[in-house]
Amino acid sequence: MRSFGKAASDDDRPLIERVRKGDQDAVRALYERYFDRIYNYAYARLGRAEDAEDLAIDTMTRSLTRLDLFQDQGVAFSSWVYRIAHNATIDHYRRYGKVSLVSLEHAPALVSADPSELAVEQLSNQDLHAAIRDLTDEQQQVLILRFFQDLTAAQVASIMGKTVGAVQALQHRALGSLERALQGRAVN
Amino acid sequence: MTPEVQRLERLAERLRSVEPFVPPPGAKIRGWNLVLAAVEQSTTARSRVHPIRRLVLATVAAAVLLAAGAIAASADSLPDSLFYPLKGVVENARGVLTFGASDQLAYHLDLARTRLTEAQAMFARHRVDLADQALSALDDQLNEAALVIQAQKRSDPPVGAAMENRLRQAIATHDAQLAGLQGQVTNPTALDAIKQARDRAAQAIETAAKPVTSDDKGNASASASPKGNGPGNGSANSPHPTPTH
Repeated sequence: MRSFGKAASDDDRPLIERVRKGDQDAVRALYERYFDRIYNYAYARLGRAEDAEDLAIDTMTRSLTRLDLFQDQGVAFSSWVYRIAHNATIDHYRRYGKVSLVSLEHAPALVSADPSELAVEQLSNQDLHAAIRDLTDEQQQVLILRFFQDLTAAQVASIMGKTVGAVQALQHRALGSLERALQGRAVN
Repeated sequence: MTPEVQRLERLAERLRSVEPFVPPPGAKIRGWNLVLAAVEQSTTARSRVHPIRRLVLATVAAAVLLAAGAIAASADSLPDSLFYPLKGVVENARGVLTFGASDQLAYHLDLARTRLTEAQAMFARHRVDLADQALSALDDQLNEAALVIQAQKRSDPPVGAAMENRLRQAIATHDAQLAGLQGQVTNPTALDAIKQARDRAAQAIETAAKPVTSDDKGNASASASPKGNGPGNGSANSPHPTPTH
């Protein structure tokens, strides 16, 4: 069970106001609230601890030093932070390319008694992460935010700039793609 | 629930059960140190820029207010005022921006009227020297107006004739005021100055009415063009703001 401390839906506005006035304790509070989440998001996207650390630090630095660019106009601070993290991920891909670091050579068989059905219980976390990284950018984003970050469909919609319905449809397609990707890996 | 949805639901549940990646404590501390340094740097940079920007803005605002206030104060200033030289600058600027013979005539007649008002005020304050200078500047303006009319008559005689009538009417008004003034003052120097002013006004009418010869044409057009020499340019020995065209 994951634990990220305070939920991303908590109101950050009082802390943001204090940061704008130069309150270092408020900076620390926001850092504590978001660093682990962003690290986890970055690790799921990039697959390397070093890259995840760099990206999380970069995202937090940009978020907390460029608050003058953040205007609370219907978009939550959490959405803004995730968008920065997403853009940093895209930059990382552009610079270094996408790499798949996890091999399934030593993975156990992923099929159940019914050959057409995937034995999800037997899937390792590594398998899941590796398969997720084979999905499209949007599919990765929606699965990571919904299931690894425990965000609601509405929060994901705000981060991705989509409607809730579009996010739900995307999530359904992403799960289908993930299932096929895992089956393909199991067969190979 | 269809089998497909059931499968996907199980997969979703499996994803939810994945343990999160937790950053090593060292990474979090390193991150905090870097973030804190960046925040402090950006705060310092902002606090360095802000006072300078504020100072520049305050200086510019003060300068604009001061200039606007001085210009406003100079508009109705009299020759014995500290702001009077600024009035000349403003009048000259107006002259530079005045185009077309009709507008130039209006400009000179307006300045002539202003000089006459100044002369009356100076006589009232017993500053005959300044009143004399104001009357001299008045005559300069009337002469400039006459030269503008001459140039206009050369290019468009009917319009030039209409302008001459405007000059005559203005001088008639001035003359009536000067005659009234002449009856009020007793100082011989003042009386002499007023008499000279009336005579020179009459000469201005003659200049405007004079037929344009080939020799006059060049002089008239040269005199009627803007000079932009600043205050006192209407007369070599007059300190009054008398911009010319």
